[in-house]
Amino acid sequence: MATAQHRRRDGAIDLAFLLPTLVLLGGFLFYPLVYGIALSAHDSQGFEPTQFVGLENYVRAIFGDAVFHRSLLNTILFTGAAVVLQTGIGLFLALLVAGVRRGRTFYLVAFFAPFVLASVAVGAVWKFLYAPFFGIAATVGSALGFDTLTIAPLADADTALWAVMAAFLWRFAGFSMVVYVAAIQALPRDYYDLAVLEGASWSQRLRHITWPLLWPQTFTLVLLSTIGTLRIFDMVWIMTAGGPAHATETVATHVYTTAFRFLEVGYAQAMAMILLLVILLLTVVEYRILSPRADVASS
Amino acid sequence: MRGLPRLRWSTALLFVLALVWLYPVVWTLTGAVRPTADIYRAPWDLTWPPAIGNIGAAWERGQLGAALVNSASVTAMTVAIVLVLSIGAAYSLAKLRPPARPVLFILVLAPLIIPTEVLIVPLFSMFRGLGLINSLPGLALVNAVANVSFATLLLTGYFRTIPRDLIDAARVDGAGRLDVLLRIVIPLARPGILAVAVLVSVLTWNDFSGALVLLQDPDTFTVQLALTRFSTFYATDQGLTFAGMAIVILPPLLLFLLLQRSFIRGLTAGVLGR
Repeated sequence: MATAQHRRRDGAIDLAFLLPTLVLLGGFLFYPLVYGIALSAHDSQGFEPTQFVGLENYVRAIFGDAVFHRSLLNTILFTGAAVVLQTGIGLFLALLVAGVRRGRTFYLVAFFAPFVLASVAVGAVWKFLYAPFFGIAATVGSALGFDTLTIAPLADADTALWAVMAAFLWRFAGFSMVVYVAAIQALPRDYYDLAVLEGASWSQRLRHITWPLLWPQTFTLVLLSTIGTLRIFDMVWIMTAGGPAHATETVATHVYTTAFRFLEVGYAQAMAMILLLVILLLTVVEYRILSPRADVASS
Repeated sequence: MRGLPRLRWSTALLFVLALVWLYPVVWTLTGAVRPTADIYRAPWDLTWPPAIGNIGAAWERGQLGAALVNSASVTAMTVAIVLVLSIGAAYSLAKLRPPARPVLFILVLAPLIIPTEVLIVPLFSMFRGLGLINSLPGLALVNAVANVSFATLLLTGYFRTIPRDLIDAARVDGAGRLDVLLRIVIPLARPGILAVAVLVSVLTWNDFSGALVLLQDPDTFTVQLALTRFSTFYATDQGLTFAGMAIVILPPLLLFLLLQRSFIRGLTAGVLGR
């Protein structure tokens, strides 16, 4: 017979297995989070907070920093487009891959391989691809008859953000694809047999069977890629470092520059906290709107 | 429908897309052994004899030997920390009854929506106070924080599939919680644990932002930081840059090719929560 005391002791032992993880997160996630909130409300000298300034840093970021506005806009634009395109391309590739009879492993590996490459290498290689005169973009473009030989997508403020996005999609679409392929393979076959029997076309089957049945995966992928893209730093930093003229500045690169180049750590952290709030807000909104439970398609 | 195999437009399209996708990868690998003047030639258009010298020069000038050792040790430490912590945490969440389990679950998964990028300034400041700047174990701790949540999530899913009866039977025979974990849960969840180990090692090997902020002494540079040296110092010697990149991307690429089944299955299981 387990008495209340026994149960409490058992619970404590059960908790002990979790304790190391909680200690790590406490020390290196929750403590820095609290410290970061405090830091964002202070002026700073070097890396030390000095005078308490309340919300002044936040006010400065929201009302007085054109580069921050640009970076926030870029981040949200980039994330919005990247989430839709990454999911869309991933689904498109997955539908094709799930349909092949032979060599599925080859396709999975080919599309997923960029995911395991370092962002530093990916960024550098794509910089070469975008190089004027020699790069693939210039060569293929001019071979097709366009006047692209001198075009440098990364150096042009109008195209730089989208040029970075192409590299980003190349790297991450395979991730969405493998998730979809695994899900498509688990779909019940009889729905399709029945639909074919009733004369449903390929696009009808996609719209009325595949798409609704894959909604849980779409939901998860949209949530994951939103969080993963809003924090984007590596690839932008390597490819453009936020330039030209802040055309590719993201919140994370602006925070980095502000903290480690201009040594305004209190202000930098205020902007990082705003980014965190955006991440939390968008996650909650997406969760509310897209959650499969609220979706009638699953019925 | 299932008659002779014929080339369908969708298969042809897929094949072309796969080649497009592979192009930059193959280009990087073949670029490593071509002279700088030939870098922009097509990846299959190999120069003969290959410029093997690039590799040695990149190794030496980029100080890649030391950087590889640094990266390998950060990766090994991170994987060890993440495995020990996430196995314990997942066991507790999936098979035991810690008090306030839902709250604990949320706490453990919090890093999934609080990326370390937004905490890089306070972490740097904290690490400076602790004397952990330029410390490889310090970087391993930050990487462990970034990875422990999805590792726990993935393993919790795996552990849940282990039948209760098996564990109850062992408990009746007098096995303690630790015995059950070591003798039943871990052996049965080996594919999941392997998947976590492979994923965490690739993600840690590729980490850039953590290393960029926390490592300043060139002697402590990981391979990713060493690579940035090529683009700044040797921008004119592109054969060298490609050789450096090839050396750095090869270990995760080989690991992925060898273990792609377990890699992809682990990842999709983690995302799909089963």
